[in-house]
Amino acid sequence: MHRKIGIALFSLLFLVSFTGAQAQFEKSYMQMSWDQIVAEAKGQTVYYYAWGGSETINSFINGYFKDRLAQKYGVTLKLVPVTDATTYVNKVLGEKQAGKTSGGSVDLVWTNGENFRTMKQGNLLFGPYLDKLPNARYYNEGSTAYDFGYPVEGFESPFGSAQVVMEYNSKYVPNPPRTIAELVAWVKKNPGKFTYAAPPDFTGSVIVRHFFYANANNLGELMGPLNASVYSRVAAKTWTMLNDIEPYLWMGGKTYPENSIKSQELIGNGEIWISFEYGPKGAESRITKGTYPSTIKTAVLDTGTIGNTNFLAIPFNSGVKAAAMLACNEMLDPEVQYKASLSSDQGGMSWMSPLDITKVPRDWAVKFDALPRHPSTLSGEVLNSHKVSELMADWLVKIEKDWQAEVLKK
Amino acid sequence: MDIEDTKASPLHWIVYIGVIVSVLGPLIPQFIWPFAKSWFFPDLLPSVWSVRAWEYIANPNSQVLEAVWNSLVIAVLVTCISVLLGVPAGKALGMYRFRGKGLVELFILAPSIIPGLAVTMGIHVVFIRLGLSDTLLGVVLVHLIPTIPYMTISMSGIFANYDPDFEEQARSLGASTFKTFFIITLPAIFPGIVTGAMFAFLISWGQYLLTVLIGGGRVITLPLLLFSFAASRDNAFMSALSIIFLLPAIIILFFTSKFLSGKSSSMGGFGTI
Amino acid sequence: MTKRTTIVLLLFPTISVLVLLFLGGLAMGLMQSFGYMPLIGMNDFNIDAYGSLFGDQEFLLSLALTLWISISSTLLTMVLAIITALAFRKTFSGKRIANFLYQFPITIPHIVIAVGTLLVFSQSGMAARFAHQAGLIADQNQFPVVVSDKLGLGIIYVYLWKQIPFVGVIVLSILQAMGNNYEELARSLGASKWQAFRHVLLPTIIPGILPASIICFSFTFGSYEVPFLLGRPYPTVISVLAMRLYQDVDLNARPQAMATAVFMAAFISIMVVLYKRLLGKMSGRR
Repeated sequence: MHRKIGIALFSLLFLVSFTGAQAQFEKSYMQMSWDQIVAEAKGQTVYYYAWGGSETINSFINGYFKDRLAQKYGVTLKLVPVTDATTYVNKVLGEKQAGKTSGGSVDLVWTNGENFRTMKQGNLLFGPYLDKLPNARYYNEGSTAYDFGYPVEGFESPFGSAQVVMEYNSKYVPNPPRTIAELVAWVKKNPGKFTYAAPPDFTGSVIVRHFFYANANNLGELMGPLNASVYSRVAAKTWTMLNDIEPYLWMGGKTYPENSIKSQELIGNGEIWISFEYGPKGAESRITKGTYPSTIKTAVLDTGTIGNTNFLAIPFNSGVKAAAMLACNEMLDPEVQYKASLSSDQGGMSWMSPLDITKVPRDWAVKFDALPRHPSTLSGEVLNSHKVSELMADWLVKIEKDWQAEVLKK
Repeated sequence: MDIEDTKASPLHWIVYIGVIVSVLGPLIPQFIWPFAKSWFFPDLLPSVWSVRAWEYIANPNSQVLEAVWNSLVIAVLVTCISVLLGVPAGKALGMYRFRGKGLVELFILAPSIIPGLAVTMGIHVVFIRLGLSDTLLGVVLVHLIPTIPYMTISMSGIFANYDPDFEEQARSLGASTFKTFFIITLPAIFPGIVTGAMFAFLISWGQYLLTVLIGGGRVITLPLLLFSFAASRDNAFMSALSIIFLLPAIIILFFTSKFLSGKSSSMGGFGTI
Repeated sequence: MTKRTTIVLLLFPTISVLVLLFLGGLAMGLMQSFGYMPLIGMNDFNIDAYGSLFGDQEFLLSLALTLWISISSTLLTMVLAIITALAFRKTFSGKRIANFLYQFPITIPHIVIAVGTLLVFSQSGMAARFAHQAGLIADQNQFPVVVSDKLGLGIIYVYLWKQIPFVGVIVLSILQAMGNNYEELARSLGASKWQAFRHVLLPTIIPGILPASIICFSFTFGSYEVPFLLGRPYPTVISVLAMRLYQDVDLNARPQAMATAVFMAAFISIMVVLYKRLLGKMSGRR
C-alpha cells in the first residue's frame, strides 16, 4: 500500500517538475533579446507544415526562402507538404495527449481561421511571440488583430493576405456586374454561365457570405458574435435570393461544383463566364500556367469583397522555437515579401503581401509600388479600398450548415 | 471453334483489343500531361507544350529527388529485413510438419489480409512515446507488417518443392554448412527470394497510408508528394510524379518476368490460407 | 539440434516481429477503441465508441458503399478473369498478349492507375474528349459521371485493372494443369460447349480461385489510397472515414476512429473464418 502511494507521489512530483520546467522554458524566450534568439537559432532545423498543392509556393519556400535562412542565419528549413491543414493540428494534439511536450515534430505551421482557433483554445500554440519579432513593425497590427473574428493576441504572425475577387471572361462579359444585385440580374439574363462551389467548400462558403452581406442592412450588424435575430432576418432573404437564381446557374442548378478547383476548371474551359475566387493573383498565375485563357480578368464589387490574412504559428512543443521565430520574422522582411510578390516567372509566388506599404522603408515602398502588374490583376489600392472583414466563425458555420438545408436540398 | 484451334478468331481479337485498350488506356494520358502547358477540353492534344513539370522535378528545391531517395532507402531496407525474416520462416513452414502449423500459417498470413489501419493507428501512440514516429526507422518497421507475410508465404511455396536430399549429399561429400547453403540451397530458392523480394519492395514503394500515419509527413516519400498534387488537381505535376513512381515497377518487371509465371510455386503459396 | 529446436529457431524472428508490431498494434487499437489507454491518460473503459458508430448514419452509409465496391469488384474480377483466361489460353497470339498483359499490371502501383483513371474518365478527361470529337456529346457535362460518382465506378475500375491479371494468372495455370483431356472427353460424350464449361471447367476453376477472391475482397475492403483519390467526400468508404476521424481536430473522435478500424479488422477476420469453413465443406464434398 505504502509503495503504491509512493509511486503515485513520485509520478505526481515528476509531472509537476515537468510542467514547471516547461513554463520556465517559455518565459525565458520572452526575456531573451532578439540577438540571443538569433544566436540560439543557428544550426537548428525547422519542420514547416503547409498545404503543398501549389508548385509555385513550394518552389519559393524551398528555394529563395530556404536558401536565405540557411545563408543568413544557418537555419535549415524543411517543408512538409500536407493535403489538409487539419493534419498538423491533429498531430500536435496527438503528441500532447501522448505526453510529448517538448521536441515535437511540428515546428511551424501555415494556418488561419478555424485551425488557429482550435490550436489556440487547446493551448497548442507557443506565444505570444509576435511583439518579439523586429519586423512586426512593418505591418499594421490593427488590421490583423482578428483572424476570422478570433483574437490573434500575438500567437501567430502574418504570412500573406488574400481577398476574394470576381473572375470574368472579358470575351463574353465586357461589362461585369458591380454589385450582387447586378450579378443576380446578369445571371438571369445569361443562364448556365455562373455557379459557385457548394459550401462547406472554403471558396463556395465565402461566395455565399457575399450574398449574405448584400442582404444585411449594414455590415456593422454582422460583426461580433452571432446575433440570432439578425441572422434569421438576413439568412431568410439570402436563401430566397439564392433559390431564385438557382435555375439559372450552371447545369440548371441541379448540381454545384464540389470545390474551387472544379469551378476554376469550368471558367478556364469557357463553360461559365463569371466565378468568384480567393486570391487576386490567382487568375494571373493560372494564365501564366496556361490553365486559363488570357481573356480572364478580375474585378471587385463596389460594396467590397471579403479579405483575410493567413498566418504562421509555432506549436507549443516545438524544440526549435528560436529558429521558428526567426523564420516568422524573416517572412515579414520587406525584401522577402517583395520577392514573393513577383510572378513565378520572376522567381516569386504571385503573393499578396500583408505588409503595410506606409510602414516599410521608403525605397522598398517605391519598389512595391513599381511591381509589374499583370493585366488580369487589380492594383493594391483598388483591392485595399474594397476589402471587407470576415464574419466570426460561429456565423460562418451556421451559414454553411443552413445553405445545405435551405438551398442545396430544396 | 474447335478446342485445338491455334489461330485467333475475330471474337478473340475483339477480346484482345478490348483488354489492351483498357489495360494501356489509363496510362497513355499520363505520358502526355507532363509535357502539357495548356490542354483544354475538347482538344485531344495540348495546345501549348512545356517541360516545366520536369524542370521542377529536376530542381533540388522541389523535394522530389529527396522523396525518391527516401522511398528507395525505405523500400530496400524493408525488402532486406523481409528476406532475412521470411526465408527461415518460409523454410520452417515449407519443409516441416509440426503441431499447430495451420495456426502459425494463419497468424503469419493475417497481416496481409487484415486491413493495416487498426494496427497502425493502435501502434502510433507507442511509436510517439518511443521516439519512432516521424522517423525513417519507424516507417520501415510498419512497412514490415504487410511485407513479411508475402515474403514468408512465397518462400514456403518454394521450400515445399525443395528436396533436402541434395543438402545431405553435399554435406556427406564434405561441404561445410556455410558452403552447402551457398552452393546448393541458395540457387534452388533464389527464384522464390526474387519474387518475394519484388513484392516486398513494391508493397513498401506504394505505401501512402502507413507512411503518412507513422512518418507524420516528415518522412517525405514519393506517394506523399503525388497525393499533394493530386489533391490540387495539377495534372501536369501529378502525371510526371506518377511516371517516376511507375519506373521501379517497370524495371522490376523487366528483370524478374522470367521468375513470375503462372506455374510459379511462390504464387501458389497463396492457395494455402 | 532436434527438429523441434530447428523449427522454433527458424520461426522465432518472424513470429516475434509480428507479435510485437501486428498483434501489439491490434491490441492497442482495440484498447483505444474502448477508450482505455493509460499511457495517454485514457482510463475509462466503455463501449461508447461502438455505440455511436452503429448509430451514425455516415458510418452505415460508408459501410454500405464499401461492401458494394468490394463485393462487386471481387465478383467482376472473378468473372472477367475466367473469360479473359479462356480467350487467351488457346491461340498462340493470345498467349503472347496474355503473358504481357497479365504480368504488366501486377507490378504497377494502385496509385498510378488511380491517377490514370482520373485523367481518362473525369468529365474533362480523355474519354470525354474522344466522345466529343466523335460527336457523341456536345458538352463535357453530358459525359457520364464515373469518377467521384455515387457508385464508386472509378474505384471499381482501378481494382479490376489490378486484380483481373492476378486472378487470371491463377486461372490460366489451372487450365494449363488440367489440359484439354477432360473437356475433350466431355465433348466426345456429346456435351455442348456450354455444358463442358459449366460441368467440367467451372468446378475445377472455382475452388482454385477462391483464395484469391478472399485476398481481393479483403484488400478492396481495407484499401485507402484509391477511394481517397477517386471517391466522394460524402459518403466515403470506411477506411477513409476511419482516417478522417483519426485526424479530426477533436481528439474525442479517436476512440471512434479506432472502433471503425477494429470493426474492419474483425469483419475481415470473420469473413476469412467463414471462407475456410466453406472451403472445408467444398473439399469434403468431393
